[in-house]
Amino acid sequence: MSAPITVALAKGALLKDAVRRFAAAGLDFAAVLEPGNRQLMVPSVCGRARALLVRNADVPVYVAYGQAQLGVVGYDVLREHQLPVAQLVDLGFGGCRMSVAVKASSPYRRAADLPAHCRIASKFTRCAEAYFAALDLPVELIHLAGSVELGPITGMSEAIVDLVATGRTLEENGLIAIEDLFHSTARLVGHPLALRLDDGSLQAIVDRVAASGGSPARAAAAPALSTS
Amino acid sequence: MALQPAAGARDLNPLEVEQNRAICATLAEVYRLWGYQAVAPPSFERLDTLQAGGAIDGREVVRLAADDPLGLRPELTASIARAACTRLAARPRPLRLWSEGTTYRSSTGDSGHQRILEQLQSGVELLGEPSAAADVELMRLLLAAAARLGLGPQHRPRLLVGHHGLLTALLAQVPEEQRQAARAALTGFDPLALDRLPLSDPQRQRLSAVMRLRGEPPQVLYGLEQWLGPVPLLGELAATLEAVAPAAARRQVALRLDPTFQPHFALYDGLVLKLVCQGEHGPVEIASGGRYDALVGRFGADPAEAAGVGFGFDVEAVRELVGLPPESAQATAPVLVSYGGQAALAGALDALETLHAQGQCAELLGHPVASRSEAERAAAERGCCRATWIAA
Repeated sequence: MSAPITVALAKGALLKDAVRRFAAAGLDFAAVLEPGNRQLMVPSVCGRARALLVRNADVPVYVAYGQAQLGVVGYDVLREHQLPVAQLVDLGFGGCRMSVAVKASSPYRRAADLPAHCRIASKFTRCAEAYFAALDLPVELIHLAGSVELGPITGMSEAIVDLVATGRTLEENGLIAIEDLFHSTARLVGHPLALRLDDGSLQAIVDRVAASGGSPARAAAAPALSTS
Repeated sequence: MALQPAAGARDLNPLEVEQNRAICATLAEVYRLWGYQAVAPPSFERLDTLQAGGAIDGREVVRLAADDPLGLRPELTASIARAACTRLAARPRPLRLWSEGTTYRSSTGDSGHQRILEQLQSGVELLGEPSAAADVELMRLLLAAAARLGLGPQHRPRLLVGHHGLLTALLAQVPEEQRQAARAALTGFDPLALDRLPLSDPQRQRLSAVMRLRGEPPQVLYGLEQWLGPVPLLGELAATLEAVAPAAARRQVALRLDPTFQPHFALYDGLVLKLVCQGEHGPVEIASGGRYDALVGRFGADPAEAAGVGFGFDVEAVRELVGLPPESAQATAPVLVSYGGQAALAGALDALETLHAQGQCAELLGHPVASRSEAERAAAERGCCRATWIAA
């Protein structure tokens, strides 16, 4: 009998949809959604697979090291951490934008207009660094672990780079998004070598997960949407 | 003062060293039987040699703080190919060489700091033989060496084979300006990147099908022939793999042809291969290699002899998977030689050397002990097989 397939799932906003898509593909991990669940490794109902419940940024790590053959994670995390995983399917859910935002009262309305050497606060410093490097704008990046909206509010930074879903958090903190780096959705990722050694069972799951979303998923506009 | 080794550095205990040596010795014995001679390439070289004419990303080379642009070798092939084209240029071809040693690779960790990884490798290079006979020999030698290491069906060994020429032929139908991106998408197993390329629907469907094409060589070659027609490369590859398949089947190694497989370093321009086993928690890469004719040409070889194939075993990966090779001598516990007083020290050392002459590992207890039973207690504490006590 072949070894069980291991799937790394991110805790948080993507979990419910990810479990739904795998259920449609024949792997039922609903146990991870039960309120009392404290288990971090949960077998599927059929026993052919198991889910690892990990933090968002750890999904590509488990997949890159081969401990999980598949995983579901946001494109933003893949762009930030740049690990060697195969991006297999754009799952379409968990849509958000990686945006540059400033105080609503700020005179700047384009990222390229921000003053050289200004401070930018972000959790996603690699994305921010690449974006401002492409703009040829030298900036001082400040890494924050969360609540980055406080950067401009307290005056610590001129702008932030952060994920924006509905825009409500920005609005309630007096900030506005002025430019988008890229659009992000959840991706099904895989371990490249495991896929190359696959006897067909892994690819069958990938195909069923892709098909469970309706029409074949196409990648979102992954490169920078606007750098001008 | 820091007491821990730097991250990525190996710091092995005696058992691990013993196992590594046994693995290297087993491999060396196989290489020698096949007519390969040992060479010891330098640990550090000029950066342009180590980067193999751009085939290896400079960021993966650990640079030395020296007056000349020098670095530590990230793999062994480039140094041996350089030596084959210079100091060993007058030797008759084909040149069969093997070597073992530590390689060093640099990468950037998640924190943005440099990480250096040490690896112990053992491998062969067959230089100056442009024909497919060298490809067949390389794979047969790899299978023979793997079998001697004790890799069996319980490790689910699979030999992944690709060919640079196959990918080039498949991409010939793609517009030139999209070829590089299409190649990166196929070798990087990235169907989403393939979807984003501005290709016609038939081209996109063809490349998507190529990305999924892998498995037993006859079926894959048949699939490729439907797309490429009866090109000579397919016939040559079929003949090469047919010459390897019986040996692979005998050793229960699954042979898988994968047209989009390319190893980590872009050294290779012909056949490429990787031997992968199933570890307890995931696939383990045991050995990899391929053909690197262009690299040999860049080192100035005569065009008729600008050819090279080789592979390297990751010794640490083998150790973690199989431990000691089955035929290597198990390390035996030593005999503890002890003595009752200063006057008996010379006699104890004579006894020690007598045991050594018999091929028995024996060590001296550094201080006198009053009785045989005390010597036996000391032997048990030190993990010795027995004690010899020389009375004063």
